[in-house]
Order: sequence, then C-alpha cells, then structure tokens
Amino acid sequence: MANERLRALEEVEKEIAMILQCAGNVLLELSKDKHNASFLDRQLAQFLSSVNRIESELSGQIRYLTQVATGQPHEGSTYSARKDCQMALNRAEYAKVKLGELGRTCELMLDQQQ
Amino acid sequence: MATPRALPQSKETLLQNYNKRLKDDVRSIVDNFSEIIKTAKIEDETQVSRATQGEQDHYEMHVRAANIVRAGESLMKLVSDLKQFLILNDFPSVNDAIALQNQQLRSLQDECDKKLTSLRDEIAVDLYELEEEYYSSSYSLWDTTDLPLCEAYRRRDSWASPGPGSAQGDGDELDGPPSQETKPQHHLNGHGTTSIEKP
Repeated sequence: MANERLRALEEVEKEIAMILQCAGNVLLELSKDKHNASFLDRQLAQFLSSVNRIESELSGQIRYLTQVATGQPHEGSTYSARKDCQMALNRAEYAKVKLGELGRTCELMLDQQQ
Repeated sequence: MATPRALPQSKETLLQNYNKRLKDDVRSIVDNFSEIIKTAKIEDETQVSRATQGEQDHYEMHVRAANIVRAGESLMKLVSDLKQFLILNDFPSVNDAIALQNQQLRSLQDECDKKLTSLRDEIAVDLYELEEEYYSSSYSLWDTTDLPLCEAYRRRDSWASPGPGSAQGDGDELDGPPSQETKPQHHLNGHGTTSIEKP
C-alpha cells in the first residue's frame, strides 16, 4: 500500500548512498600507483548522473508538495470500517466457539451412550 | 495570550527551506569532490617544502571528505523530512489510502457476514430435523403450553388450510385423546407439545 512517491524517495536514499560509494571508489583508485582509467571514467560518470538524478527527483517532489500541501491537518480516518470489521470477526469467533462447544457436547453424549 | 506556535514556519517557508538545503548539499558534495581531485594533482615544490605541502594537502582532503559525508547525511535527513511531509500533507494520496483501506475492511466484513449467514441457514435446516426427531421421541419432557418448532409449523400449516381432522397433525399417533390446549397460543422455543408424552 506504499505510495509511489514514498517508493521514489526510498530510491533516492539508495542513490545518495551510491554517490558516496562512487566518490570513495574514485579516490581509492587515484590513490593507487597504477590507475584503471576505464574504471575511473565509469565511476565518475555514475557519480555525476546520480547527482543530477537526485537533484531533479527531489526538486520535483518539492514542486509537487508546493502545489498540493495546504497546511491543514487531514481529518479522515478508517476507524468506523475497522470497527465494523472487528465486530464481524468477533461474531465469527463467537460462532466458532459455540459450535466447538456443541461439537464437544455431542461427542460427550455419544461416548456416554457407548 | 501568546499561544506557542506548533509550526513556526508557514508551508511556503518550509518548502523554500527544503529547496535551499537540497541545493546547498548537492553543491557541497560536487565542489568538495572536485577540490579533492584537484588537490590530488602532484605539483612542483613551491614555497613550502614537499613534506609540509603533503601534510597540508592531507589535512585538506580529510576535511573535504568529512564535508562530503556531512552533506550526504544532510541529504538523507532532507529525504526523511520530505517523506514525513508527504505522509502528513499529500492529501490526494492520503485520501486514496484511506479509501482503499476502507474498501478492503468492508469487503472482509461482508465476506465474514455472508459466511455466517450461510452457516446459520444450514444449521437452521439441521436444527429443524433434529427437533422433529427429538420431540417425537420419548426422551423429551415438555408441557402443554410450549410447542417445538416442527409442531408449531405443522399447526400453522393446518390452520392455514383447515380440513377435517387435520388440526392435530401427525404428532398424536400414539394417543387417541385430543390435545389438551384449547387456545392457539404456542411458544416457538422448542419446549412444548401436546399430549404425546404419557407417564
């Protein structure tokens, strides 16, 4: 039931971690005596694309919130439906208990007859 | 009386603050990273000795790396704040979530009640037969003011279509004398009969 926007923000968090990982990999590679140029290029390209993606995604979210947010609290709730459902489940549970007692009584009577 | 404001900023200021934090953190990450790369370049010895320059570069890289990490943490905090703001203030998605939840709960309740109703109907049929069996056997003790369900239904049917000798139904086959009750009242609680039981 998670919102699409919340999922997108989860992805953004993973991208931020990847940015730091890429930056660290680049500097680690530079610290070696012999550099692997293709690796450096790949990591750098990934770093820059992730930074751009994060910036555009978060700007989009903030723009959407600017249009949608009102500052008033939301007053909807699912309490009534949840209560009704809970009562229905209680009814079913009660019926199950009563039928269990009935079954045990019948078995008792049958055992006594035998 | 000055009431303490729970929300010190308005919505617009808050969102502008989010924007500013985003721009600052992203710029900090990119600038610090590029500066580290530039510092890594080996240059000819200038006014200070190589060892001193090396120490200075080392310290500068340390600080810039810490800045990058701080900006990353700040971005994570910003994302967390945005998630919270979204959950509280994004009314379209909150309405959708509430409607979906309500629908699921109502369908579960309807299914539960439907199953209980069908169970009740099945048990009612069996109960009718069981009562018929029980009250026509010698095990039951009942007085004349109460009628079992099956007997009551029979009498109601016979009153609906009156015919000769049909007022007693089939319950008196063991006994000749007519029913002792003179008024058509009966209790549908499964505890009554006519004069079948004889001591």
